[in-house]
Amino acid sequence: MRSALLASAMVFAGVAVTAHAAKEALPPLDPALAAQGRSIYAHQCASCHGPQGEGAPHWQARNAQGELPAPPHGPQGHTWKHSDAMLYRIVREGWRDPFNKTKRLTMPAFRDVLSPRETRAVITFLKTLWKPEQRRFQWEESRKEPFPPQTNRTTRPADDRPPHEHGR
Amino acid sequence: MRAVRHLRSVVFDKRIALLLLLGPFAVFGAVMVNTKDRAPPQILALAVGGDGTTLLEMRADKLYRRAAADGAWAQVPLPRAVAPSRITAIAAVAKSSDVLYLAGQGLGVWRSDNGGRDWEARNDGLPSREAIAVTAHADRPETVYAYLAGNGIFRSEDAGKHWKQMDGGPRAALTQFVHSNMPGSMQSGWLFAATRTGVARSMDCFCGWYDAGGLNAKVHAVAYAPNQPQRVYAATEKGLFVSVNGGEEWRRAQAPAGSVTALAVARSGTVYAASGSKLFRSTDGGQTWERVDA
Ligand code: HEC
Repeated sequence: MRSALLASAMVFAGVAVTAHAAKEALPPLDPALAAQGRSIYAHQCASCHGPQGEGAPHWQARNAQGELPAPPHGPQGHTWKHSDAMLYRIVREGWRDPFNKTKRLTMPAFRDVLSPRETRAVITFLKTLWKPEQRRFQWEESRKEPFPPQTNRTTRPADDRPPHEHGR
Repeated sequence: MRAVRHLRSVVFDKRIALLLLLGPFAVFGAVMVNTKDRAPPQILALAVGGDGTTLLEMRADKLYRRAAADGAWAQVPLPRAVAPSRITAIAAVAKSSDVLYLAGQGLGVWRSDNGGRDWEARNDGLPSREAIAVTAHADRPETVYAYLAGNGIFRSEDAGKHWKQMDGGPRAALTQFVHSNMPGSMQSGWLFAATRTGVARSMDCFCGWYDAGGLNAKVHAVAYAPNQPQRVYAATEKGLFVSVNGGEEWRRAQAPAGSVTALAVARSGTVYAASGSKLFRSTDGGQTWERVDA
């Protein structure tokens, strides 16, 4: 009797382990896209978010102007909490915390600076800064809210926005 | 015919006799019960559902509901497998007054979709059953949030069937929280949490908890007005406070009683506040109050 119990407990544990291992594997990041994004980051984002994505000093509290400073993009920040669609929107349209004491867009809009594909590239680079469990969290959040289809185009149609200018 | 009448009078006589015989005992019994539970049942939690038209009240170990506008209280059945005294949090979903959640330490989260007739445990994927608080999304009927002691905040987007850890929660442990559809969020709304040190506020992307308005007091309950979502109420150890700008600034409101421990705001804007065993309501945003069920 006891051994039967033990056996069924072991079967149970086995099922639990396989169920866990059967979790879908994270899709790898496109290395070429991430490399393109690294260079865009250095030129367009690092001045505010830090060369290593470490964020502005004291980023967790409003500054003297009553604005939230640029947060880090790495594991200690919360960029990884946003779906691909949301990150795309933040970078394209800019963002300000609604409780900031000023009205300006503290996170500038990049819609006239980066093409949709370049926007996706820089976000792909940000993903290289995250821990595996953060990557998984963000990947799950993105399943229902993916990048918009125009970010899949690798070639630029004639009427698309200008390319990003290095050292803007 | 006569025989029937005779029979009836016999029955009547027997009843009278029984009453005479047992009456004193019944009165004595009632007095005994009364002295035993002299403290009236405390209100532990309030919530609104059905687009802010239904009011729910957890009173000691019983759950009641009524139309917020007015109406009689009806008792809501609770899951049989649960010790009712452990229930500390209740929630109803936005678009229905039949979908209910309850939570408590040792119970985890339970859900009913028929006004309490049947209940199901919804704990798959939760690391423990130490649920302190539960709140439903202000607009999305399938989205619900639970706060687990020591583990933080979990979200389900399928009515509690699967859960995902969102973050550790605000720095000071929370005792109650509410999802709000106040505009301005990056995602779909906000969470306001009652904590030991004030009201904590986060967008529902869980991308940062901030102290809302520096109340610097232990907060017992927080609620927002569904018809005017910038309007937030906080019941604290220092009294009742109201904010008209999403918790950025607070001003003192008139409290109906010494210590308010639970709050809810109906679609009409009527504020409900519980203090001990007493329930009050205010139709002028917390300036004047009347007893609801006195
Ligand atoms: C002029 C300074 C500045 C530049 C340049 C800048 N940002 Fe930002 N960014 C900010 C600030 C400030 C915030 C925080 C805004 C807020 O929450 O109020 C922010 C927020 C963000 C967020 C949201 C993070 C979160 O966790 O909510 C993302 C994503 C982001 N920036 C990406 C980028 C990318 C990618 C670039 C380059 C293409 C970039 N930023 C360039 C200032 C900047």
